[in-house]
This record gives sequence, C-alpha cells and structure tokens, in this order.
Amino acid sequence: MSLRVLAVDDSQHALDEISRMLREAPEVGEVVEAADALRALKLLQADRFDAVFLDISMPGLDGLELASLLARLSEPPVIVFVTAHDGHAVTAYGIGAVDYLLKPVRTERLSAALAKVAKMATPASRVAPDTMAALPVEVGGRTRYVRRDDVLFVEAHGDYVRLHTKVGVHLVRMPISRLEEYWEGTGFSRVHRGFLLAVGAVQELRSDTAGGLLAHTEAGDVPVSRRHARDLRDRLLEAAQRGQLGPGR
Amino acid sequence: MTTLPWRSPPDPLTVLATAQRITSDLRDGLTGPRARRATHALRRLFGVPGLGLTDLSGSLLWSGRPGPDDTVAQVLDGVLHTEEAGSAPEVLVLPLHVHDELAGALLVVGDTRGAVAGQAAELVVEALERGRLEASAEQAQQAELRALRAEMSPHFVYNALTVIASLVRSDPDRARELVLDFADYTRYSLARHGEYTVVAEEFRAIETYLALQRAVLGERLRVQVRVAPEVLAVAVPYLVLEPLVENAIRHGIEPRAEAGLVQVHGQAEGNDCVITVEDDGIGMEPTFAADILAGRVTEGGVGLSNVDRRLRDVYGAWYGLTVETGPGAGTRVIVRVPRFQPGVLP
Repeated sequence: MSLRVLAVDDSQHALDEISRMLREAPEVGEVVEAADALRALKLLQADRFDAVFLDISMPGLDGLELASLLARLSEPPVIVFVTAHDGHAVTAYGIGAVDYLLKPVRTERLSAALAKVAKMATPASRVAPDTMAALPVEVGGRTRYVRRDDVLFVEAHGDYVRLHTKVGVHLVRMPISRLEEYWEGTGFSRVHRGFLLAVGAVQELRSDTAGGLLAHTEAGDVPVSRRHARDLRDRLLEAAQRGQLGPGR
Repeated sequence: MTTLPWRSPPDPLTVLATAQRITSDLRDGLTGPRARRATHALRRLFGVPGLGLTDLSGSLLWSGRPGPDDTVAQVLDGVLHTEEAGSAPEVLVLPLHVHDELAGALLVVGDTRGAVAGQAAELVVEALERGRLEASAEQAQQAELRALRAEMSPHFVYNALTVIASLVRSDPDRARELVLDFADYTRYSLARHGEYTVVAEEFRAIETYLALQRAVLGERLRVQVRVAPEVLAVAVPYLVLEPLVENAIRHGIEPRAEAGLVQVHGQAEGNDCVITVEDDGIGMEPTFAADILAGRVTEGGVGLSNVDRRLRDVYGAWYGLTVETGPGAGTRVIVRVPRFQPGVLP
C-alpha cells in the first residue's frame, strides 16, 4: 500500500512535523503539503489523494468547512483531522472523518489512523471465512482439535505458534501473522510482534518501573509492546462497557 | 367548591405534607415547571375560591376562580410599582419579597381575611428563599469541583519541564516522548467535558503522570500498576487517583535518599471497585492522617482531603478515602466506589 496524502496546516512547524511523520510511515508513498485551506482545495481539484490530514483551526476557511466541501466531491479523499483541542470531535465525526488526532501527535496514534485510511482506500477488502474456529494439533501421535475459544494467547515460535490454553500448550505449524489474519475480528489482538492475545482472557494489566506493560492471563503473562498498549486498553474498555468481561472466560 | 378533608377538622399531618409539597414545588421559582401545581395546592390549603401567583415577567398562574381581568390588572400594576399590598372588592394582592427584593405577587380572590392571605404569602416567600439558597449552594459546590479539578501541582509541572529542557540537548527522542506525555497530562488535567470519567482514563492519566515522574526522580522511583479489566468502565469523578499518587510520591518517596516503591492496584470487590495507592515510605501517625483527611492540616495534604470530599459528595458518607499508615510503615490510601451508581455517568 502506497498512499498519496495531503497535509494541511497553517502553522509551518506543525505542517513540517505531521509531514515528516507521514513520510516516515510505511503505508505512505507521497506527501504533499498545503499551508491553507484554499491551496488545499486547488490541489485536491487538480489531483487525486487517498487521504487528507487536516488541521481544524485555520484562518479563512477552517478545516471543518473544507471537509464539508470535500464530502461533496464524487470521489472524496479520506479525512483525518489533526487538532490541538478535542472540543470538535463530535462535529468532525459528523462530517465523516475516519479519525481525529490530537496535537502533538504520537507515532502510534498516527499508525492507527493510517491503518484506518488504508482500510478505507482498499474497497471490498477480503472477508476471511470463519474456517479457523478450531486448529488441529498432534497429541501423542493422534490429531485433536483446539477450539479458538479455549485459546488465551498465542506465542510465535519461528514458523510455528504455541497455543496457550488453561490446560496446556499446543504447537501448530503456522506463522503468527497468518493466524492473526484468520482470527482478527474474533476477539484477538496482536499486542506484540510475538504475541496474539484473546482480549477477554485478560485478568489484569500490569505495568512496572520500566514502563513495560504485561497482560496477565490464567495461562501466564503476555508482554504488550508500547505501540499496541493504547489499542489494547481501548479494546478492554470497550469490552468492559459492553459487560463482556468477567472472571473466568 | 368541594369540601376538603382538612376544612373541618384540619388534619395536621395532611396540612404539613401539603405545605412541604408546596415548598418543594416552588423551589424552581414562580415560573418553574411545578409552579402551577403549587398554586392549586395553595388555594386548597388556604380554602379560598381563587388564588394566583405572578412573577415580574407578568405571566400569571391561576387556580380556581380568577378575579375580574380589569380590576386585577389595575391592582396588580399598583402593587408591583408601590411594593405595598393592594385590594379591590373580592381581590387582594400581596407583594412577594424574596431576600428583600420584589419577586412577584400573590393574588387572592374571594372574601378572605387579610391574615390568611398574609400567611399564604409568607409560605410562598419562604419556599422561594429556600429555593434560591439551595441553588446558590449547588453553584458553590460546582464551582468548588471545578476549582479542585483544575489543580495541577506547580511543583510537579516545573520539575517535569526542567527535565525535558535538559533532555532536549542530551536525548532528543526521550525529550520528544516526554513532551507528548506532558501534553497528555495537561490535556487530561484541563479536561472540561463533564464531571465524570471512567477508571480506564484515570489509570491512563496516572501512567502518564508516572512516566513523567520517573523522568524526574530516576532510579529512586519504582512503580507497579495493576488493574483488572472489569473495573475499567466504572464511572468516577475526574482526577481522583492522580492526587493520591502524587501524595504517595511527595510524602513516601521524595523525602528519602533511597529508592521507594509506589503501587497502584484496581480491582472489583463484589459491587464495589476498590483502588489502592500504596507507598513504602516514611508513613505518618494515624492521627495526623486523620487530620489531613479532615482538612485540619493543609500542609501537603490538600489533594487528599479534596478527593475525600468529592467522593463523599458524589457517593455518600460511606464512600470516602481510607488511610492505613504508621510511622515508618508506609501509607496505603484506599478508594472504594460503587461499580454502578445511578446518575454517575462518564
């Protein structure tokens, strides 16, 4: 994926910063800068962009007004607002923005926003059929099945994964990234390069002096990398708000 | 006119209950949503054929038989201008003074003794005065909550900025990370979107705060934060935890040369969410801790008594802070809040 992105901000330093961060992101192919809404409008009429990263508070036409204009284009770009103050969030989503970033922007938040943009920019993304609700494992020379619902977390082990359940660990030949694709959307979250975690299996979140985060489950602790920490916390909060958490999954 | 139970003989309990209801109905003023009901109840209580209430805007609420329009308008006009009682045949108009200021008038229709009308007016005035007092007490409390929330510790803010200023030269990446943390910290402290947040956000805020404190205190501060997912969505007032953590660091860690450990732990206990903030520092006399909670000593403990008061205001007298401490024994502060509280929503 190589996204074409327009960054709009009337403050030169803020524009430099967001453009630099966008250029460093792997999903982004090209970044064009605009220092005001009018310039942005001209660029957008002349050329096609996958996404616009848009400051809200600008002189003349502000970001919200520009976004409402863009929404009327036949092939509107995906809009992400970037703003210093979070008072506009409701309006922003009302206009149809896919995300809303607060300045100063964190790299993790930007990658999350770009992931959403990429999803929007590739229409009709493949929907994986639910074929992996159970995985075959070899136990004592016989094939048994481990149910997805019994897996608390998955640990990468070269080309294999270890499935950690309450009653034991099972080795399956499959790269963790493949399993992540199959199990995405079924309550699993890639919380670390080497770990896939069942969100509902978390009994406690633990952080220590070094700032590292661990998710404690009945089958042991799972490390959570810094860039995935926010996403996991958000998903746990969502689950708690829906009342889907309880002792013992 | 129907005969009412208390006309003869009057039942004191009914009379009292009615008067109380009138007082409560007039709490929001003479044009409040329940003022009409109060007008009806007043007329029945004093047994007059017609009774009206008006405020200074000129809107007039009647119960029973209204007086003749022209006469009423004329007398009322006079009363509102002279602020003295006025009358015409069958109509008596009394000015209503709330805290010595004209607020409206009471109109009585029928052959009524002045003393009866006077008592009715007195009841209305008392109700209005009480309503105003309650409203201003509520405003004062809101203002206090706002003031408490805005309290960022200057001690901490400038220590953090000093560290960042130094790291900008020696370790720009770390400095950048801390500036982002500092932005999150101030954003949360200055948040104005509502009175309540959720435990998840409170924990996020203290993680940010602790990241900055670790930069300030270095190896001296050791930290352990644990939270169970089932309490993440519990609604709590803003900035309940951070003052407790700040307190643990200031009184448990900072005065000592050696390293200290601060532990924060959130979990469910039945229908309660229990959060403990614990340090292994110098501790204090339990009586001193009690004085701090009660706000009798202000030295350093303002944050603690503030949190205690806010929790009791929101959840009732049972739900303040508990402090377990002793000289040399560290300090543990326990927050206990109901997991579900009607009216407390983030």
